Amino acid sequence: MKIITWYGILTIGDDGVSECEPFNKDVDELAELLLQKDVVAYSPGSGFDIRAVAIECGFVENDEEYNSLLRDVSIRAAKLQISRTNTPDMQIIQAVEALDDIDDVVNVLSERLSEWYGLHFPELGLSSEPLSRFVSEFGSRNNVPAEHPMFEKATSSMGSELPSADEALIRTFASNACELYDSRHSIEASIVRNMEQMAPNVTLIAGSLIGARLISMTGGLARLSQLPSSTVQVMGANRALFKHLRGRAPSPKHGIIFNNPLIKNSPWWQRGKIARALAAKISLAARMDVYSGELHPEIKVNLEKKVNSIKAANPKPPVKQKPAGKGYKGKNKGGER
Amino acid sequence: MDVNEISEGIFEVRKGGKMILATKNANPGSSVYGENLLEAEGEEYRAWDARRSKLAAMVIKKMKVPIKSDSRVLYLGAASGTTVSHVSDMLPNGIVYAVEFSPRTMRELIQLCDTRSNIVPILADASRPKLYAHIVEQVDVIFQDVAQPNQAQIAAVNAEQFLKEDGHLLLSIKARSIDTVANPSKVFKEEVNKLEKDFDTQFKVIKKHDLAPFHEDHLGLVAKKKLKEN
Repeated sequence: MKIITWYGILTIGDDGVSECEPFNKDVDELAELLLQKDVVAYSPGSGFDIRAVAIECGFVENDEEYNSLLRDVSIRAAKLQISRTNTPDMQIIQAVEALDDIDDVVNVLSERLSEWYGLHFPELGLSSEPLSRFVSEFGSRNNVPAEHPMFEKATSSMGSELPSADEALIRTFASNACELYDSRHSIEASIVRNMEQMAPNVTLIAGSLIGARLISMTGGLARLSQLPSSTVQVMGANRALFKHLRGRAPSPKHGIIFNNPLIKNSPWWQRGKIARALAAKISLAARMDVYSGELHPEIKVNLEKKVNSIKAANPKPPVKQKPAGKGYKGKNKGGER
Repeated sequence: MDVNEISEGIFEVRKGGKMILATKNANPGSSVYGENLLEAEGEEYRAWDARRSKLAAMVIKKMKVPIKSDSRVLYLGAASGTTVSHVSDMLPNGIVYAVEFSPRTMRELIQLCDTRSNIVPILADASRPKLYAHIVEQVDVIFQDVAQPNQAQIAAVNAEQFLKEDGHLLLSIKARSIDTVANPSKVFKEEVNKLEKDFDTQFKVIKKHDLAPFHEDHLGLVAKKKLKEN
């Protein structure tokens, strides 16, 4: 019987170890060997003392050497394993999370800016990014040049004057927000780039940001590819899904894939059907990305055909009927998707 | 007396008017996770907080920890190495195999391993001992803190593969990770039952104790392998 240990291959006869082929005593080599796949098939039986054999067959001199060599090898192997788990989709997941974090922060900041700057120039009528850009560029409304469209409003504003000390403060505040917007744009661009490279088919079907979000929610492209497309269809509609599972609502038609223009721009009675077709193609695309990695433009063509046939078959809204579901009372207007 | 050895490698060190649980720092001058360093009788000790470590709570609950200075220990569920660092302190001539499943926490554990000479990190699923049977030898002690619904089974399969006939199992059972709504004492009873009867490797429970107030709804447990009847 053959046994694989971290230090070598042992052959076990009727009366104990009959042969021992030690590996090279090199930490890097041993670390690679430690991670081989067939260790389970050739693992030592229960109760087998691998240390005693290592000393017996002369791989190491004594217990101390065994300990320190095994320690070095294991640390090296664990580091290898960790660096191998850092795949490109980890990068995408972090980028998507960072995007959401920036959105949270920047919304708070721009609300504050809008209140603060509103004291001085309430007629401006800008918000979020344009507001931040405006304030960081001009500061006080007195600096708005004559050719600027806001010039007239600026000269006749009812807002209070802005002392120069406060102007400096608010300008810095606004330019901080601008920097966050810049960072947001570059993260978004990098997601688009990475997605096109890593998951060309998913990007083609779902769009890069929705694709990235799906990957981030599932924890990786490989996992996304293993999910049933019904899950992909409702992913992100958690509240609605659980409400449905508790019997209090109809099933959600779409989760985050709603943001795909195919669904978003269709009339409501077609959306569920299109969402189903889209989710099916996303699953297919994810599998292509994982297992072949090549672009298959024909799935996009097929999807469009399918969507057109759905649209042709359902040109008019159906006549609404009272749903028969138990405990379900009518559509919850304004509820979750 | 300023230092009192309550079990091999485990000390009580006087600080102010209090005796504080501690282990002798194997890597003097450095604190692993922000714990206090205590000087006493010319040695440096690291304070060991029972609220952060189930093993420390078991010590405070007067459970006998069967770890000796030359023990070989298999630690399942090492996490970022808070308790592992103290086990490492207790083993000047021993070795501890630290098994952890999550690459994220393993990142921190490895940084600890780099500063210690007796920790062998293993990134693997503790419920599949065959995945690391080519690395881990026969051990004197298995300490398990995995907070999994099937933790009794995990203990059994690992003891079958690695625990010496006279070795000990130290187990922390988290009732909430087995059944979130059931009464903890009922869960404990069932788990002990499982350990004693359900699997190929059966245990004899030597001592068990609730770990409150340090860890709510946790049971600390010391057991030995039941010898197989032939």
